[in-house]
Amino acid sequence: MEILYFALDYFELVLFLVLLSIGFFVGRILEQKHFKSIRQRERESKNILVFAARFPPNLAQPQDCTLVCGQVVISSDYFKQFVAGLRSLVGGRFRGYESLFDRARREAVLRMKDEARNKGYKMIVNVRFETTSLTGGRQGALPSFEVVAYGTAVRPR
Amino acid sequence: MEFENRTPDEHVNYSTEHPLKEFAWLLGGLMVALVALSFLVGAFAGEVASWLPYRYEAAVAEQVDMQLKGNAPDAPNEPAAPGEPTPAAIRKALDRIAQPLAAHMRLPEGMQIKVHYNNSEMVNAFATLGGNIVIMRGLIEAVPDENTLAMVIAHEIAHAAERHPVKHLGRAVGIGIVLSVVSAEAARTAAATATNLAATGTLLTFSRQQEREADTIGLDALVKQYGHAGGATALFPLLEASHPPEHRARLTILSTHPHAADRVTELNTLVAARGWQADGMRIPLSPTLAALQQRARKR
Repeated sequence: MEILYFALDYFELVLFLVLLSIGFFVGRILEQKHFKSIRQRERESKNILVFAARFPPNLAQPQDCTLVCGQVVISSDYFKQFVAGLRSLVGGRFRGYESLFDRARREAVLRMKDEARNKGYKMIVNVRFETTSLTGGRQGALPSFEVVAYGTAVRPR
Repeated sequence: MEFENRTPDEHVNYSTEHPLKEFAWLLGGLMVALVALSFLVGAFAGEVASWLPYRYEAAVAEQVDMQLKGNAPDAPNEPAAPGEPTPAAIRKALDRIAQPLAAHMRLPEGMQIKVHYNNSEMVNAFATLGGNIVIMRGLIEAVPDENTLAMVIAHEIAHAAERHPVKHLGRAVGIGIVLSVVSAEAARTAAATATNLAATGTLLTFSRQQEREADTIGLDALVKQYGHAGGATALFPLLEASHPPEHRARLTILSTHPHAADRVTELNTLVAARGWQADGMRIPLSPTLAALQQRARKR
């Protein structure tokens, strides 16, 4: 009973702590699961080659080409956001966001490879990344952003 | 030509450090910084506030004054019980004790002592911003004579004259500003409660040094007004008695008031050192205040 009264008296604080722990525990479990899945799919899609170069290695050979694209929209969690808020007082690495962006970028590449594989391609050249913040500069909004990986899938004709 | 895409290096783009480690460092650092800053700003703001001329304080004090008049249970001028003197009459009787005492002190320019009466059972009185002094019903009922009451009033006037309340408020507002780094809400609350508490006297716990100052200046005014120091120490045994023993032990540790026995000793030493007459003719309470006391005895 007394715990209940305490919770009511300090409702904002209790709510904050609950959100923070949900953000931490759930966010961490999901992140580890995602990383595991990313690593596995990266091994599986090793046969699809990705190049940042503008042209395929064998230029003399006529090629079929098509645009392939992988897109990810990802959001931060409450815990990461809070730590980033503290971090912004003193500056330094946003460690939480670094892993978040790493996941988004690798996931985008995997989705792009999926598209290429579905269309029967095994090589993507001229791969580029784009990113957009969905939150913009809005105060207090949970940071979420889009990462797009795109390139030209090529196969010898 | 053979090509292959190697799997990415896992330890380049992101840190594998446990997130709670960073969290603990940042939060701990912030707490330490805030506490340190609060102390600094608190000490500094209190001093700055007391250097400001009184007229700046008067603007804030007006709100406090209005709150004292508006919130006090005596707002409608009717006696608390039939047959009792009206609050206005009590205020007037208290004012008649306070003003001559105030005349013996050096008040800041423009400050006028305003006495308020609060219909509360507590044996208490406090001084707050703007030369406002609040005397509670319980105190009037507890004192044996006018001299004792005058000593308490003189003590509170001395707080006001030395501008202790504004020193205290300056600290509270300064700490509020520091808190605003973390949360604007917390800062607003701190600033609002500071004026609120100033009006109720809750936060106005002065330092031991300030209490001693008020004792010394108050005693000086008392002797100048009544010709002797009688009644100066009479209230302390009453205060001790009004707190139950288990409460008393805690009070000694927590309260910023110096221990009652120490204060009695200090006051007696001062009386002897200045060559003042230790006691003399005590003046009975004025009819209005005596009537209030009689009602209490009947209850």
